[in-house]
Amino acid sequence: MQLNVNGVSRAVSSPPLTSLLEVLREELAVLSPKHGCEQGGCGACTVLVDGEPRRSCLLPLAAVGDARITTVEGLGAPGDLAPVQSAFHDRYAAQCGYCTSGMLLAAHALIERKGGPVDRDEVLDALSGHVCRCTGYVKIVEAVMAASRGQVGAEPIEQPLAPEPSQPEIEIAGSPA
Amino acid sequence: MARHSGRGFATIEYPTGMNQNGDPSQAWIKLKPDGRVDVFAGTVDIGQGSKTVHTQIVADTLGVPYDWVTMDNSNSDSSGVCTGTFASRGTFIGGNAVRFAAERVRERILDIASKELEIDAGDLEIADGEVVAKGAPDRRISVADVAGAATYNYGELISGQGTALKPFAEISDEDGSVQVEPHSAVSYAACVADVEVDDETGEVTVTRLVQVYDVGRAINPTLVEGQIEGGAMMGLGLALLEQAYPHYPSAEHRGAEFGTYLAPALEDLPELDNVILENPSTDGPFGAKAIGEMANNAQPAAIAAAIHDAVGAWVTEYPATPERVLRAIQAKAEPRREGKRVIFDEEISLSAVSSNGGAGFLEV
Repeated sequence: MQLNVNGVSRAVSSPPLTSLLEVLREELAVLSPKHGCEQGGCGACTVLVDGEPRRSCLLPLAAVGDARITTVEGLGAPGDLAPVQSAFHDRYAAQCGYCTSGMLLAAHALIERKGGPVDRDEVLDALSGHVCRCTGYVKIVEAVMAASRGQVGAEPIEQPLAPEPSQPEIEIAGSPA
Repeated sequence: MARHSGRGFATIEYPTGMNQNGDPSQAWIKLKPDGRVDVFAGTVDIGQGSKTVHTQIVADTLGVPYDWVTMDNSNSDSSGVCTGTFASRGTFIGGNAVRFAAERVRERILDIASKELEIDAGDLEIADGEVVAKGAPDRRISVADVAGAATYNYGELISGQGTALKPFAEISDEDGSVQVEPHSAVSYAACVADVEVDDETGEVTVTRLVQVYDVGRAINPTLVEGQIEGGAMMGLGLALLEQAYPHYPSAEHRGAEFGTYLAPALEDLPELDNVILENPSTDGPFGAKAIGEMANNAQPAAIAAAIHDAVGAWVTEYPATPERVLRAIQAKAEPRREGKRVIFDEEISLSAVSSNGGAGFLEV
């Protein structure tokens, strides 16, 4: 059958119940979707199917049909990054990078769906099924919010990430710094 | 039945690098004829950003722009020995290795520049990729021209190696003394945790973590903050969610799949206030100490203390699962009051007054 991956029609010969993840990685050598838990729990294998984020580890090839599949390779290229990729880069939103592909695609779909600035709760909702062990999520959330506002660089986001703390500022007396 | 708020804090100290030493990191740097710099070092970047930090250290030590420097840490054949990325030694020990190597390269650049400019090397300095005579800024030569002259006029490949190695700390069998101080630098940190505890379900929600880390010098503050934020969530996981072993009630019941091991997710993300304290070390590159491993040490203790502040019960085993929190609350039995009598039930009395929890007399 033919598979539409990042706008290119590719011939595939894997059996119909092979997971889309395995077809992409093993047969087509599209390596950005990551093989994480293989149970739909970690989000690392997320790809866009007709623009919607889907767990490619749980999606059999037969169920894909002629749907458009988008992976990170189809989102942007070095020198021509998608806004969400630029924002991740500018704000250090990736550390080891294993969750990054899935995060990028889910965030891209959120921004496309909303078509304007997304707020913090919307990001938490859209990315809640994606596990990251390195970053503590903070810079990822900031990057998605910045990308949805068309902000480049690492300047503070127009809308504060969290309400101003009610507690007094911490003062450290006598710091040699 | 209600949700109770509590606040707890914990402080830690963290010895940077290996405690008993004897573990080297090596680096080698060469200058290309156009002035670009190749760094070969084995420090593995697992996402913490050591490649960026090492590049910054080399660029600043040499006095050349950041983007002239390329760090190749991809190949353990072409790189020197690096014992590894562990014990928070990446910046402190690996960073020192590239710094020492860069200092040697800098000396060679100044020597060649000295010949080209006919000025004593001691009267030259390097900034923004230019070797400039101190006090006479019109007498200058670019590092690229120095590298070209070295290659094509003097027949020299400007290069330098550096090894950061603290000698192994031998411990005397007789009196336990050490000849070498085992610690290289000591970092300090503090964490304040705000939690809410539901005394009906035992569920604990961390609402805010204030974290102060003494990292010596933050060579790259954004990356330091990335470590602090990541460590906060790892510490939160250790405190509340992550049960590695033993499994309840026995090992056969351990989780067999991804979803049964709970890792912190976005919904667990508290408000984070990070403070980077710069209290420079004597030996680290540019005064740096470390941030890697200590980043998840203080939160579990702070969270346990906050749970105690909220409900008056100590959870003495991590993670503080809802079940453990509820058991701790239940175990916090008060003495009974009956009229004029205050009665300690046997269970409370024994655990309160007996040094071994009421197990009977110790046999000595």
